[in-house]
Amino acid sequence: MARDLAIDLGTANTLVYMKGRGIVLNEPSVIALNRQTGEVLATGREAWQMIGRTPGYIVAVRPLRGGAITDFEITERMIRLLLQRVGVSRFTRPKVVICVPSAITEVERRAVTDAARRAGAADANLIEQPMAAAIGADLPIDEPVGNMVIDIGGGTSETAVISLGGIVALEAVRVGSFDIDAAIQNHIKRQHGIAVGERTAEEIKMAIGSASATDEDSTAEVRGRDLMSGLPKTVVLTAEEIREAIEDPISSIVDSVVRCLAKAPPELSQDFLVRGMYLVGGGGLLRGLAQRIENETQVPVKMSNVPLEAVVLGAGHVIEHYDALKGMFMGVRR
Amino acid sequence: MTAILIVCVVFLLVVVGLAIRSRRSRDAVADFRRQIDALSPEARKDVADRVRKIGELDDSVESGDEAVAQEGDDDDGS
Repeated sequence: MARDLAIDLGTANTLVYMKGRGIVLNEPSVIALNRQTGEVLATGREAWQMIGRTPGYIVAVRPLRGGAITDFEITERMIRLLLQRVGVSRFTRPKVVICVPSAITEVERRAVTDAARRAGAADANLIEQPMAAAIGADLPIDEPVGNMVIDIGGGTSETAVISLGGIVALEAVRVGSFDIDAAIQNHIKRQHGIAVGERTAEEIKMAIGSASATDEDSTAEVRGRDLMSGLPKTVVLTAEEIREAIEDPISSIVDSVVRCLAKAPPELSQDFLVRGMYLVGGGGLLRGLAQRIENETQVPVKMSNVPLEAVVLGAGHVIEHYDALKGMFMGVRR
Repeated sequence: MTAILIVCVVFLLVVVGLAIRSRRSRDAVADFRRQIDALSPEARKDVADRVRKIGELDDSVESGDEAVAQEGDDDDGS
């Protein structure tokens, strides 16, 4: 009998929690395929290392964008391989809870559940990422107090106000870490005339990217391909120019937090001033982002102890208490 | 006779309807209570423990990184 699973099917990373065991898999949501035969060559970390470095017949892709499935067939194959890696076989079909962005459409929801069922799940239910994140970040959502959680993922950013086990106010935008990386790529292309890959842009963001001015403004040397001559070229980027380059996606994220605060009932709003709001997700690790949100909202922002694992830990708790918490699944009438 | 029968049937239907409604509302209260209990700090102790363990692991990895960086600095200095 297979143990039930909780899956955080993120645009950037996929994490799997096994009932009674904890997190058993944490890998990038990437799959590498042979373009000619359609065979899967690698998944996860191994496939991630291939991005932008493959010969013509291999393609390394992320089958999810903006939190939604862009290629159904590839996503199904990726989920099947992930399930196989954690011990699911044709004869052991577990119940699966999958975390998805709250803003996904009915069609996108069905695509995720169908992909999981075809990949070997006996039953697949969905839970909203901010709700799972709040449980995983250990917020007291069982109490009648305002808990605010900001989940900044690879493709989406969601802010939710949660009280008494339910979402009171929600604001989601399809802007995340990958949009910040894309903004860096575009800036280098426009201002310095060189092309850099997705992974290099991410490395620049991690090295010198920031959402607000910090004490240690540094520089980074970047190597790419000159668009005019086609030759390798090196340029030096400053933290300030990267900050300006990523201003648009950062503003979109901060604006959505402000809109969510405006939607919250006044009784709960006063709780945020005392309790603060919690930042989870890999995007929340961007230097100065918590400070920027705090400055623009005047509400204290705290970083979760487990920003990358909060969502899957929350979904894991739901799978551990499946019967009591099945009313929290998306599409269940409350 | 028919009128009495109709009244009895209607009365019976009303009683059954009220019983079902009351049971549904009792079930809703019980379900809500169960959900809130499952989200309580006691029920989430496992999650809290796992969060603490991951936090401790991250801290130990970070302190390991610092040690490496400091060693590198020493090397540069010498």
